[in-house]
Amino acid sequence: MNDLFVMTQIAGRRCALHAHDVSSVIEIGAVTPVPRTPAFIAGITAMRSQALTVIDCRLALGFDAREWPTDHRAAVVAVSGHSYALRVDAIEDITTGSAEAGQVPGGFGPEWSRVATGMIETAIGPALLLDLAALIAGPAVSPEVFGAAA
Amino acid sequence: MDDLLADFVAETREMLEASEGEIIAWEADPADRARLDNIFRFVHTVKGNCGFFDFPRLAGLSHAAEDALADCRAGRRKPDSALVSAVLAIIDRIAAMIDAVEAGEDFPEGGDEALIAALAEEPEIEIDARGEGPVAGTAAEATLAGDEAGAEKGDARSSNAAPNPALRSIRLPVELLDRVMSGVSDMVLARNDLAHRLRQAGNQPTIDGPFERLTTILSDVRDAITRMRMQRIETLFSSLPRLVRDLSAELGKQVMIDLEGGDVELDREMIEVVRDPLTHIIRNAIDHGVEPPSDRLARGKREIALLSIAARQSGNTISIVVSDDGRGLDEERIAAKAVATGLISEAERREMGRDKILQLIFEPGFSTAETVTGVSGRGVGLDVVRQNLERVGGSIKVSSQPGVGTLFTLQIPLTLSIIAGLTVGTGDQRFAIPQSYVEEIVHSSAKALDYTCMGETSLITFRGQRVPCLLLSDVLGLDCGDVAEGDHTMVMLRLASGDLFALAVDRIHSHGDLVVKPLAPAVMKSGFYAGSTLLDDGQPVLLLDVTNIAGMYDLVSDARTRVLKTGMDDLDRASGDVMRAMLFTDFAGRRSGLRLELVKRIETAPASAIDRSAGRARAVIDGVILPLVSLPEGPLASEKVRLLRLSDGACELLHAVAEVDDAVELTEPLKPVADDPLVEAVTLVAGQTVTLIDGHELFARHGEPPEPAARPLARLPDSEWARTILAPLVTSAGYAIAEPNVADDKVALTIMFEDVYEVAAALDRPVAGSVIRLSDQPDGGDRETIYRYDRTALVDALQHARGRSGSASRNRKANA
Repeated sequence: MNDLFVMTQIAGRRCALHAHDVSSVIEIGAVTPVPRTPAFIAGITAMRSQALTVIDCRLALGFDAREWPTDHRAAVVAVSGHSYALRVDAIEDITTGSAEAGQVPGGFGPEWSRVATGMIETAIGPALLLDLAALIAGPAVSPEVFGAAA
Repeated sequence: MDDLLADFVAETREMLEASEGEIIAWEADPADRARLDNIFRFVHTVKGNCGFFDFPRLAGLSHAAEDALADCRAGRRKPDSALVSAVLAIIDRIAAMIDAVEAGEDFPEGGDEALIAALAEEPEIEIDARGEGPVAGTAAEATLAGDEAGAEKGDARSSNAAPNPALRSIRLPVELLDRVMSGVSDMVLARNDLAHRLRQAGNQPTIDGPFERLTTILSDVRDAITRMRMQRIETLFSSLPRLVRDLSAELGKQVMIDLEGGDVELDREMIEVVRDPLTHIIRNAIDHGVEPPSDRLARGKREIALLSIAARQSGNTISIVVSDDGRGLDEERIAAKAVATGLISEAERREMGRDKILQLIFEPGFSTAETVTGVSGRGVGLDVVRQNLERVGGSIKVSSQPGVGTLFTLQIPLTLSIIAGLTVGTGDQRFAIPQSYVEEIVHSSAKALDYTCMGETSLITFRGQRVPCLLLSDVLGLDCGDVAEGDHTMVMLRLASGDLFALAVDRIHSHGDLVVKPLAPAVMKSGFYAGSTLLDDGQPVLLLDVTNIAGMYDLVSDARTRVLKTGMDDLDRASGDVMRAMLFTDFAGRRSGLRLELVKRIETAPASAIDRSAGRARAVIDGVILPLVSLPEGPLASEKVRLLRLSDGACELLHAVAEVDDAVELTEPLKPVADDPLVEAVTLVAGQTVTLIDGHELFARHGEPPEPAARPLARLPDSEWARTILAPLVTSAGYAIAEPNVADDKVALTIMFEDVYEVAAALDRPVAGSVIRLSDQPDGGDRETIYRYDRTALVDALQHARGRSGSASRNRKANA
């Protein structure tokens, strides 16, 4: 119970992000859409002089984003040198939890297994710990991926 | 301690790079004491440092090399190539060990003894050199030993070699530089935001001054930061002598390298981009270009080949020229090979010039070397070199003289991260295009561009050439926006391969320097974007990957069509000579024509815009006064006049016409007319005669640079007297009266009373434009002020100020 986690709601589920992965939580301003990219890439937005890629976590998991509310804040994370803003249902809290991720019998379901490191116990209850790199990679095969337009 | 270790690794690396060149130079001239001293200093420093960090093996190696070199310095031994090779081998081993140290790995045991033994000239030196045992004692001991050695050699060194005057420099982590750079970018954005708010708040002289200063300082800082990212190309060059030496030794050739322009500065990222292509070309040159020494002698060349590499900066590009004096490229063999591999056909080959054939070596799947050697035949061809260079907006070409040599020219942009770009809009979104691709921007109607659809492909006609046209909104799958089809602005883009295509956008926003940031891999993968950049208002904008987009639509020609196209270009040029003319009927009822290239626009002006008072007729169009020719005598019949606005690039004039007919091609022969200089020729259009007007004569007689009709602004004192009595005088002197809220920089002249001026001067408040100071007293005696009813002096002063501001604005124009 000594690691810090940022607790979020994604597609109606409580998810945890390692606090050391999250560099900040920002208010999302205007998002410039990026045509011809998979739908889970909501666009790019500016944080100070940096351009962030906005990832809609619900779409990245393969769910429909319209079914859930969207927080006006986003968690900023850096994965292999690039910064991303994660759009989620809600950013709840920062809390402590155990770093030991456990599995549950029966797994987490196909969408979740791909991105979940495992279940962790936190001060506000159990949560799914997410693997950022897998989350940002998006759904394995997205029907919205556009190839060459030719 | 970790920091110390990192510094040690970095320092050793730096010295390694520097000393490699030194060793080669030393081998060429073993008597060169300065080189020897430099290398000695390197191994000596390594030895001292290793002792400090307890790296016994490194210390042993450097100690051995130091001993051998010390013998040379003392004249006990003559340096020969065996010794140089042995020292090089040790330096290589040191480099490998440093890598291992940095990675935190253990370097494989053994092998050191053999290297040390290779140094030995006589057995007893070998025994001496095996000083590993004692040196490998405690760290303290080794440091002591190093210090002693330093003290011993100290005197000798100071007496025979003045230490190099090193440039003062510090080592900084790249990450820190990037942070500073992005901090400055943030500051620029904050400044732009502030500027925006200040403009909204209106004119505030007390804030504007400091704000201007802030702007200037910021742009200075930005320049300096950009310079910080630059590195001398020397860092790339310093490893080349070693490469050339090793390669030529391996291939049994003798090559001398000549480096020039090492002080040219290049973005450090770009240096990395160029490293591989340059290495590849050098490998190629030594492997294929340079003949074996015997062949060279047989041809009457010097035994030692010369490979020269020179870097030059011109504007925003760097060119690196690699030339050798080898056998040159064999045009016949290249052509035969290209035909054999199906790159070109036999017929095409006959059409091609030597230069064209030589460039075929950059085509994919081309490699002339009959025997694939371990050096350059690695399956990576020159096509990859060209690809890599084109990816960063560079290019490569080759020229060659048979038997004399080959010359490769690489052109690369100065920096990857700041580029000139054009911001375009489609729908409600903006995108940026690198300026280097933009050939021209055409605002024109669909009719003028002859916009047609061939199947799914749109074509426009640009300078008599059919050019494929992409609609940006289609390319990106966006809504079409509110611009009707055919009303788009065409951005003509020229690819590095020479192919031209048009990109139709809704509007052009701006152009300027863009700071390009990389995009996330998932976005890059789409292939449409090369990066992102932030506009002045902080809005992120995507930079289009022009080459890739063209590739998706198959607009990049391969070698075959590229070759064919050059033939077609000639045809186009021949047919492009068709003359086009604008036909019209003048007021005398004559059917006349003007060459279409001269006609800039067709204007309709009200009769009131025409002024015939000053001898020559003039008209005001878009706030510009232009000379007007061929008006009918007497009053105008209609209220409006059709005018052809003609331009020769610098000067403009208006040609009044009774009626505009059409633009036609002149197919019939032109018959020159001798008696009227204003008529170039007479020709037939659709069976009727047309008088073609001589543009040269027309501009020679009447052409004038357009003169802005806007009068300079004068700011008057805020009083009833000024408004009613002073204002008319100022107006008649050619000024317009400035409204109170006009920005200072628009005002060319300020007229103020002396007492107000004194207050302003005392407060150090700036006064806009030139100043006329008025006094209430007729006998002011002060020459700088004018009595407010001294009409003559006032008019003089106004004329004088007008002349000054006029010439100033002309100068500005000349500068622009």
